[in-house]
Amino acid sequence: MRILLVEDDPDLTRQLKAALADADYAVDHAPDGEEALYLGENEPYDAVILDLGLPKMDGATVLERWRRASVTTPVLILTARGAWSEKVAGFDAGADDYLTKPFHTEELLARLRALLRRSAGHAAPSLACGALRLDPRAARASVNGEPLRLTSLEYRLLHYLMMHQGRVISRTELVEHLYDQDFDRDSNTIEVFVGRLRKKIGPDRIETVRGLGYRLIALEGEATEA
Amino acid sequence: MNKPTTPRHPSLVRRLVLLASVWSLAVVIITGLALITFFARASTMRFDDSLSELVDNLVAGTSLDDAGQVAAPPLTDQRALRAYSGKYWEIAQATQMGGFRAIVRSRSLWDFALAPPPEGAGAIAAKPGKAIFYDSHGPQKGEHVRVAAMQALLPDMKTPLIFLAAEDRSPIDRDIRTFAASVAVALALLGAGLVTAVVIQVRFGLQPLFALRREVAGVRTGKAERVVGDYPTELEPLAHELNALVAHNQEVVERQRTHVGNLAHALKTPLSVMLAEAAAQPGDLADVVTRQSETMRQQVDHHLRRARAAARAQGPGERTAVGPVLEELTLTLDKVFQEDGGEVDWLAPDDLYFHGERQDLLEIAGNVMENACKWRTRRVWAKAEPVSAGQFRLTVEDDGPGLPEDGKDEVFKRGMRLDETAPGSGLGLSIVDELVKAYGGQVTLSRSGMGGLKVEMLLPRAEA
Repeated sequence: MRILLVEDDPDLTRQLKAALADADYAVDHAPDGEEALYLGENEPYDAVILDLGLPKMDGATVLERWRRASVTTPVLILTARGAWSEKVAGFDAGADDYLTKPFHTEELLARLRALLRRSAGHAAPSLACGALRLDPRAARASVNGEPLRLTSLEYRLLHYLMMHQGRVISRTELVEHLYDQDFDRDSNTIEVFVGRLRKKIGPDRIETVRGLGYRLIALEGEATEA
Repeated sequence: MNKPTTPRHPSLVRRLVLLASVWSLAVVIITGLALITFFARASTMRFDDSLSELVDNLVAGTSLDDAGQVAAPPLTDQRALRAYSGKYWEIAQATQMGGFRAIVRSRSLWDFALAPPPEGAGAIAAKPGKAIFYDSHGPQKGEHVRVAAMQALLPDMKTPLIFLAAEDRSPIDRDIRTFAASVAVALALLGAGLVTAVVIQVRFGLQPLFALRREVAGVRTGKAERVVGDYPTELEPLAHELNALVAHNQEVVERQRTHVGNLAHALKTPLSVMLAEAAAQPGDLADVVTRQSETMRQQVDHHLRRARAAARAQGPGERTAVGPVLEELTLTLDKVFQEDGGEVDWLAPDDLYFHGERQDLLEIAGNVMENACKWRTRRVWAKAEPVSAGQFRLTVEDDGPGLPEDGKDEVFKRGMRLDETAPGSGLGLSIVDELVKAYGGQVTLSRSGMGGLKVEMLLPRAEA
C-alpha cells in the first residue's frame, strides 16, 4: 500500500512517517500544496493523508483540483479546523474522511485502514435505468456519470424503484419496504422523499400515477445499458 | 421587539405637522381679523357719509324766525317725525359743563336728548364746520346709535349751535356680525384643509424614510442582507452608509473570528506532535504531557467557541435554511460512518429558516447527529418542524441503547464521556448546550420511540 502524506510540520511528519512505516505502508511525503498536487496527479497512491493548512497552495484547493482532474484516490483530511462548517466544506471538496488535530496516532491508522478497505470494494454499476446508474455494493448512484449525493433513505428509495423500474409501486409498498416496523409510518413523508429524489435525478424520471403510486422510467431517447 | 419601551421620542411627522399647523392657524386668524376690521370700517364710513349729509342739510336749512327762535328746516325724511323711528336730529347749544342743551329736536327723539361725545362737547368746538362721529345711546333702551355732530354759527347769532344727526346703527352691526361669521366659517374650513394637506404631504413626503426604516429592520431581523431600495437623493447617501456599516460590521466580526481561529488552530499541530511523541515514549513524563495536552486542547476548543459566540452577538441577524444544512450533515455523516452500515436521514419543511448563522446550525445539528450516529444500532433521524412563528424544534433520534436516567446531566459537562468505548472527544453535547442557550433555546433529552436517545432543541426561527 502506497500512501501520500501531505504535511508541512517537520515533527508531525517524522512521527507520522514512522507510524505509517511501522504499519507497513510505503510513504511519500509532500511538504507543500504544489508538490502534493503534482505527486497526487502523477503517482498511483492507494490513499492520501492531506493537511489543509499548507504553504504555497492550501489543502482544500489541492483536493478540488485532484477531483476535477478525476483523481479518485481516497483522501483523509487532517486539519486543526474542527467546526462542522469546515468538515462539511472538506467533504464537499471531495474528502472521504476527516480527522481533527490533535489526534491519537492509533485513530489515524484505524481510519486509514477503513478508508483502504472501502475503496477496495468498488465495482462497476449493476443497476441502470436510462442515464441513471446505481451500484448497490458501493451504495453509489449517478446520472450521466455525475455522482449523485443521496441520503440513505433517498438511496434506498431509488434502489427499490430501480429494482422494479417500469412498474407502478404504491405508497404503502414503499413505506413497508423503506421503514422499520416501529418507525414513523406517515405515508406523507414518502411524498417528501420522492420530491427530494426528483430534484436530484430530474423531475420526469419518477412518474406519479394518480391513485396508484410511483413509477421509475427512462427518459425518451435514453437507451438503458445493462 | 419593534416597540420602543422608552417614553415617546419626538416625532418628525408630529413636529412638521405641528409647525405647519401653528403657522397656518396664525395666518388664518390674522387674515380673518383684518378682513372683519376692514369690512366694519368700510360699512361705518358709508353710514357716516349719509349722516354727515343729514347734518349738512340741517345746517343749511336752519334759520332764525322773526322772534329770534331757531327754526328747523322741514326735512324730507319722514322717519324723523315718528317717535323712536331710529333716525334722529337735534339742534343744541353747548353748556359750560361740556354737555348739551337741546333747542330743537326731531319728533322721533321725543323728550330724549342726544349725549355729547365721550371726550366732551369741546371736541366738536375744536373743529367748527366739520362733522365728527361717535357712538352713543338712542332714546330706546339698548339702542345704539351713530351720531354726527357739527358746530356752526348762524348769521345773526352770537353763540354757535351744535347740529346733531343720529341713526340706529344695528343694521350695520348686524351686517358686520354676519360677515364675521361667514369669514370665520370659511377660514376655519381653509385652516382644516391646510392642516390635512400638510399631514398628507408630510406622510407622503416621508414615505421613503419609513421604507428605509422597514428595510433596515429587515436587515436586522435577517430577512435581507443589505438595503437595496431606490431612494431619493437626500436618503441615498444614508442608505449607502448603512450598507457600508453592515458590511463593515460583518467584516470586523469575520476578522475577529479569523484571528482567534488562527491562534487556536495554530496551537493544534504542536499539540498533535506532543501527543504522538508522548505516546511513542511511554513513561511518567509522557503521562503528564498527554494529560496537559488534553487540557490544552479543551481550553483551545472552549475559547474558540467563546470567541465565536461573542462575534455572533455583534453580528446582524442572518437566516439559514434548515433543510440544506441537515442534508449536508446527512451526506457527510454517511461518509464518516459508512463502516457500520447504518442510516441517517432528515426531514424538514422547505420554508423553515433558522434565525442565526449557518455555521452555528451546522455545529448544533452536526454534533447531535454525530453523537446519534456513534450510538445507533442502525438508524438516526433528524427532524425539524415549526412550533410557533418565532421558534422551531429540531429533533434527533437514534435506535441505540439510550441514556441511563442519571446520566442526562453528565452529558452536558465539558469533556465528560459516559461511555469511553464510543469514539470521539465527548465534547459534542456540551458545545450544543452552550450554542443553543446562546440562541435563547433549550435542549431536552428523553427516550426515543426508536429505542435510543431523543434530543430535542428549540431554536429561533426566521420568517420565510
